[in-house]
Amino acid sequence: MTRPTSTNPAAGPLSDAGGAGASVSDTRGGAPNRDGASRVSDTSSAGRPRITRSVVVNAIGLLLFVLVPAIAQATGESFLVNLMTRFLIYAIAAVSLDLILGYGAMVSFGHAAFFGLGGYVIGIAAYHVNMGETIFGWSGSNAALVMWPLAVAVAALAGLVVGFLSLRTSGVQFIMITLAFGQMLYFILVGLMIYGGDDGLSIDARNTLPGLNVNDPASFYYVCLALMTLWIIVCRRIVNSPFGMALQSIKQNPRRSIALGLAPLRYRLTAFVLSAAGTGLAGALWANYALFVSPDMSAWQKSGELMAMVILGGMGSIFGPVLGVAVYLGLEQVATGWTEHWMLILGPVLVLVVLFGKRGVYGWLVGGKQ
Amino acid sequence: MTHPKLEIRGLQKSFGAVHATQGVDLAVRPGELHALIGPNGAGKTTLLSQISGEILPDAGSIWLDGADITRMPAYRRPAAGLARSFQISQLYPDFSAEDNVAMAVQARSPGGFNLWRNARRMARLREPARDALERVGLAGRAGVRVSALAHGEKRQLEIAMALSLDASVLLLDEPMAGMGAEESQRMTALLQTLKGRYAILLVEHDMDAVFALADRVTVLVYGKTIFTGTPDEVRRHPDVRAAYLGEED
Repeated sequence: MTRPTSTNPAAGPLSDAGGAGASVSDTRGGAPNRDGASRVSDTSSAGRPRITRSVVVNAIGLLLFVLVPAIAQATGESFLVNLMTRFLIYAIAAVSLDLILGYGAMVSFGHAAFFGLGGYVIGIAAYHVNMGETIFGWSGSNAALVMWPLAVAVAALAGLVVGFLSLRTSGVQFIMITLAFGQMLYFILVGLMIYGGDDGLSIDARNTLPGLNVNDPASFYYVCLALMTLWIIVCRRIVNSPFGMALQSIKQNPRRSIALGLAPLRYRLTAFVLSAAGTGLAGALWANYALFVSPDMSAWQKSGELMAMVILGGMGSIFGPVLGVAVYLGLEQVATGWTEHWMLILGPVLVLVVLFGKRGVYGWLVGGKQ
Repeated sequence: MTHPKLEIRGLQKSFGAVHATQGVDLAVRPGELHALIGPNGAGKTTLLSQISGEILPDAGSIWLDGADITRMPAYRRPAAGLARSFQISQLYPDFSAEDNVAMAVQARSPGGFNLWRNARRMARLREPARDALERVGLAGRAGVRVSALAHGEKRQLEIAMALSLDASVLLLDEPMAGMGAEESQRMTALLQTLKGRYAILLVEHDMDAVFALADRVTVLVYGKTIFTGTPDEVRRHPDVRAAYLGEED
């Protein structure tokens, strides 16, 4: 259920040469480079994707994902499909957060706002379709191909506004301002009595996709899997693109980047909007999965959860957060069996990861940076 | 009389009670290598930072190719033709040497907002980057992560990045800082190859390098220019000797 690759973390972003991680031109396997002088694979010969260990591991990871419904059926553990659907949805959100956290050092503590927004776009539209009322003269829609892009667009637009205002600050101020925006949305949602206020809003049916019965858990699972895979591919391309390199350069040394002629705000804001859009998609999927939205979706605890997932898995790798979600949900699943205060276990684990493994579980799995 | 490439008129900057720049006038002619010397704390780096736009001056003006750039945002100045290197290397530690230079190439070329192509496979970014690395003598270190480079190599990389901006004016802040004698000589030779092709404002403490390279020298003491002249004139000037050369050696 993980998506590991053999990308050598000793090279960090250097070796992220492959689009979608499926063509990482990494011939070093997992051998850590002791002298720290990591060498980038020869870019001139990297025109064609080669079959490497990382490609194989990625393929196996994807195959395992594809097999989940079959495994669930064979073992009779039908909850597995639901658990894994949750996993995929959170992975989309965590990967989105990694885009700004890991590649732009933007610690957004209000990212759940976009998760909640994406969810409420679905919830509110469904409410109006159900009631036969219109919102702003629009009768709403149940079609996923309309609603999901709309949810993404609303989240992106909110990201543009929040980002534009927040990115004037940095460091602790940025954390506080994003937290404030997140809580603002939370209380707005609580105040929306027509949409259930504090209690949230139930949704009658999932959005429809042509030719697919999304009410079938396995089908919905595959839709989420396809979207997560697609989003990971897109994010991998983004972080390795000229834009992504500029974003990383600004993270490493903004002073130098300005001296080279890059305007940091443009890059940071674009990344923030993309991240908000991806998180909004996750929210829309969550609304469809749970058939319920509530203000809790955008509470600060949810933002913290997303951050914990990214940090657990390893920031700045796109694949890491996927693993982080697995560890987080796995830990939750196991530990809630022991005690309802499972955060007592998560807390120390998170502290240990932050203290001893800055590259997270993913970094530890594929070999640590010296 | 040629029009100066870079001109500074009556520049002033104070930080509280510290008057770092006190009415500095300076002109760098096209193709000229103009050295800026002065004791520590004379305000050399502060002056450079005002020219590059990192710090806004309190008064006075900065002119590039006859255009007033005093208030131009720092990130626009490279495109206007101004490139700088830093006294303390400002590099991207997690990137390879080639990535660092490729960022400079990317910054001055269109398409920086391309979100889809793999930047490390774009020949139009990587080839000029490799050329620049070769020019400064780092061809064999292209793939090495910057945090693993030696100090001298980082200084060379600074130059490679400044060169890759295709600017017409170079502001070089102590390129020899912290270098050994042999490395300094190599850097001097490198700067020699740049002479005449750029207008260069060179801040440097290494007097051998300054006298070997400079067409003209400006001496800055406590935020004021006390003299501008040829290296020979500077060497003979009594005030300069007292203020600077005497102290140094």
